Amino acid sequence: MTSDAWYDEQDRLSPDQLQTATFPLTRWGRHGYEEEPVRAFLAEVHAEMVRLINERASLWQEVQRLRRRILGTSNGNDGVLFGKEDAHIHAVRILSSAQRTADRYVADAQAYSGRLTEEARVRRDDIMSQAQQHADMLLEEARTRARAAAVAAMDHDGLPPQTDQERRAIHAELAYLRTFSEVYRQHLKIYTEDVLRTIEDWASKERAVSPDASLGGPSRHGLT
Amino acid sequence: MDVARLKNSFARIAMHGDQVPLHFYSDLFLKHPETRQMFPVSMQAQRAHLVEALARIVASVEDADDLTAFLRDLGRDHRKFGTLAPHYDAVGESLLATFAYFCGDAWDAELAADWKTAYGLVAKVMTGAALEDEQHHPAFWKATVVAHERRAFDITALTVRTEPRLEYLPGQSVAIESPARPRLWRYYSMANAPRADGSVDFHIRLIDGGAVSLALTAGIAVGGELRLGPPIGALRLDSGSGREILMVAGSTGLAPLKAILEQLTGLRHATAVHLFLGARTADGLYDLPGLEKMAAEHPWLNVVPVVSAGRSPGHAGALADVVSGHGNWSAHDAYIAGPTEMVQDCATRLMAAGTPAMQVHVEDFGWSEP
Repeated sequence: MTSDAWYDEQDRLSPDQLQTATFPLTRWGRHGYEEEPVRAFLAEVHAEMVRLINERASLWQEVQRLRRRILGTSNGNDGVLFGKEDAHIHAVRILSSAQRTADRYVADAQAYSGRLTEEARVRRDDIMSQAQQHADMLLEEARTRARAAAVAAMDHDGLPPQTDQERRAIHAELAYLRTFSEVYRQHLKIYTEDVLRTIEDWASKERAVSPDASLGGPSRHGLT
Repeated sequence: MDVARLKNSFARIAMHGDQVPLHFYSDLFLKHPETRQMFPVSMQAQRAHLVEALARIVASVEDADDLTAFLRDLGRDHRKFGTLAPHYDAVGESLLATFAYFCGDAWDAELAADWKTAYGLVAKVMTGAALEDEQHHPAFWKATVVAHERRAFDITALTVRTEPRLEYLPGQSVAIESPARPRLWRYYSMANAPRADGSVDFHIRLIDGGAVSLALTAGIAVGGELRLGPPIGALRLDSGSGREILMVAGSTGLAPLKAILEQLTGLRHATAVHLFLGARTADGLYDLPGLEKMAAEHPWLNVVPVVSAGRSPGHAGALADVVSGHGNWSAHDAYIAGPTEMVQDCATRLMAAGTPAMQVHVEDFGWSEP
């Protein structure tokens, strides 16, 4: 997500860039962010940026108006000059409101990243429990077959097989069971490895996108 | 100095809530812009800390010993932020301006003089303690990651070497700052008793939305550098009690208890220890193999794993239920660490069942502040 297209020449992010930003799609079978919440978040950021730009513009007008007034006073006109104290209190108020905005940005970004991690955690738990169920099912099936084989063996009244033919039949049955258990063991192993690989994949992806810069620019890091 | 009048005016000021610290920090940053870089981007938590500390100071103003101890700790603790003597003057100036602003007409020369004197005393104790501490300890310890092991989906064990050596008692914690998250300090307990080579373990749990925990798990590798604050915390072994020990650890709350366990293995006559190790899923019992090995070597240690959701290698259910159902703990020393809710739950249940409060030692991991 470091494409240059995110920034204009002055290296500033504009609201329009947010609305037109595209992200590469994840490959099929992997898990990426759902587009809808990302879009919704971008829209929210867009609205907020527009609001901020408007607020900045009106503040700038206010500054100009006050500047004119003060200049007017020093020219002997009837403007009201701010006392030094009043100006300071005014500045304190502006800074306080800016601080609140910054706090909200950080809180929003944190809440968003919290939601993402929580979703990932839930999804991972789901997959793990599904895998567990699947493994249990395979084991149960193997046990059932083993039981059936044992019952069949008991039918011989526990006596050793008498004829060569019987002996051959039992050997064949044993060979079959051995192969069966080998195949299922392989099956289970491959399945478990696959689940682990998927999780490792996510982990490395998570590492790749975890921001190593400070939360200084929440609007730019909010999506990671 | 009219203490009653100070308290009165503070109560009036405090009514304005978050406006007060907001005004204070804005005033400070306008008058001394260089102080802004000592604080994190979001000041929300910082403002709450300031109000808490002020309320604590005003409330204990008549208990000189208690107040002095609190202020000395505060003064020492502020060294890691890079706080210097001139900063105290700047803060005093802005604090008085803020109080004056919110007191309005009730502010007069006398009240101003009283607040000035009161703040002067506070600053004197804090800077005094900081200066004294400077003779013995650095402002913070530089730590280098020497091992980094992911033990579970969301739990990482970190081992660091510090410069200089970190002297601490098993059960204590330090604030950690990652260069990836400057000025955000979070407390973690040392997970081992002090070693000859001076290395220190931490167990980091990735918190949903947690800025610092992410930087300490996914965002760090061997060779990474961190800063550690001075060791703090009251959780420690009551070695002279002679009572048997009950330990209850929820998730990475195990860290301080493991340090105490290691301390016990070094004693000639260790007491019997029952350790209940809780996690949500079996996966979260990230240190069980190590503990079982320890239990095999030390017959006085009994480890009981407890899982609250899904399959468990031991018991299933809520930690507090399993512990309570396991017997009578009224003659034991109890050490409890983990998430706030679990710690409070366990402590309340134990005390209700007859364990005297003075035998219950807790470390509240909070996890409220990401």
